[in-house]
Amino acid sequence: MNCSELRDHYELYAFGVADEPERSEIREHLDRGCEVCTMEMKQAREMAALLGGTATPAAPSPKLRGRILASVGAEERHFGWAPFLAAATVLSLCATVYFVGRERDFAAEANILREQSRRQTIELTRLNEAFAILNGPDTTVTSFGQSQPKPKGRVFCNPALGVLLIASNLPPAPSGKAYEMWVISKAGQAVRAGMFQAEADGTAMHIERRTLDMKTTGAVAVTLENEGGVDQPTNTPLIVAPVALQ
Amino acid sequence: MMLLPILLALRAAGADAEVVARLQRRDPRALAELYDRYGRMAYALILRVVRDAGIAEDLVQETFLRVWNRVQAFDAQKGAIGPWLLAVARNRAIDYLRSTGGRERNTVEFEATDHPALHIDIEPGILASDKARKVKAALEKLAAHQRQVIELAYFEGLSQSEMAERMGQPLGTVKTWVRTALKNLRDELSAAAVTA
Repeated sequence: MNCSELRDHYELYAFGVADEPERSEIREHLDRGCEVCTMEMKQAREMAALLGGTATPAAPSPKLRGRILASVGAEERHFGWAPFLAAATVLSLCATVYFVGRERDFAAEANILREQSRRQTIELTRLNEAFAILNGPDTTVTSFGQSQPKPKGRVFCNPALGVLLIASNLPPAPSGKAYEMWVISKAGQAVRAGMFQAEADGTAMHIERRTLDMKTTGAVAVTLENEGGVDQPTNTPLIVAPVALQ
Repeated sequence: MMLLPILLALRAAGADAEVVARLQRRDPRALAELYDRYGRMAYALILRVVRDAGIAEDLVQETFLRVWNRVQAFDAQKGAIGPWLLAVARNRAIDYLRSTGGRERNTVEFEATDHPALHIDIEPGILASDKARKVKAALEKLAAHQRQVIELAYFEGLSQSEMAERMGQPLGTVKTWVRTALKNLRDELSAAAVTA
């Protein structure tokens, strides 16, 4: 057969359904490198491929892809949300722990600073009060303990602002004890003027804000008492400073 | 607008060649990409032949496994993986039909239709080209008996003699229907090629 006689059989050959004798004839032409048949067969195979795409569209189950990959030994990686959620949870926990810890640190630090600030404010207030007394035009000053090794210092009295005691060589009060200052009238009546403690270096500054009748006030004294304080001195005064008249 | 199908086809062809090269390096992810690209088409073709979804899925799996095992014989530069894969899919499906229907077949001849070496120099990206749409439209335009003989040949693997027997028609009549149907399809294909 010549090529033109085979013209209507190339597609059937490409489909694999050509009858004899055309099938053997085409194969023979192809085997001997017939250019016409080779070109015709290329187009016939294109036709076969195109007919393969004419089937009604249909979708296999989603699992088929995994089955096929598994059959060649490749496992599908499932990037579900679980690993991301787990990672996010862990990160959140770490962040929470970190920030809670930081917050606690910040809070503790803030408390320390607040306490320091409070103490400094108190100290500043005390110093302001002390300066007010020291600079007051009506303030009188009396030194004490100058002739003995301890304690020694000065007492400043202002009729409008009160009493300022500055002392040194004052030993720290024993546990449960505190120093109590007294304003003693010339008639010998002792009036409570506040409790205080000495610093570790033996210094002390104590202020009692009150009005003083300088005419009737005789002295300022300090005794060692129970830290709750007492209404009247129970011990011999460690300090006695007569109030000087202006 | 006329360039768009050509550009798409060229892009698909380039991507196919890259996938083939990776398949030949035994990269399973390339098989996943191949499935994503042609899995639905292969399934639709096989389902059209066997008309059973479960069996069709099994045969799709066989198809991809066969491609995986034989891809070394495929020419990544000249070959068209899509047409080859569809040829393998069709053969798997018709093999199944024949095995269940007790039909004899010329196995050697039929097997030859999906040999990798046969699918070279086919237009790159042909399955995504304008030709594919034209052939589908042409098939639908054929007279019912012409469309039937083409479908019997392609989707059921029947020779003209087998068709004549199946349809109860003289062989000469069937041959005329086949000849006319193929000519119509060829003409559409040629027109599409000229237009492109």
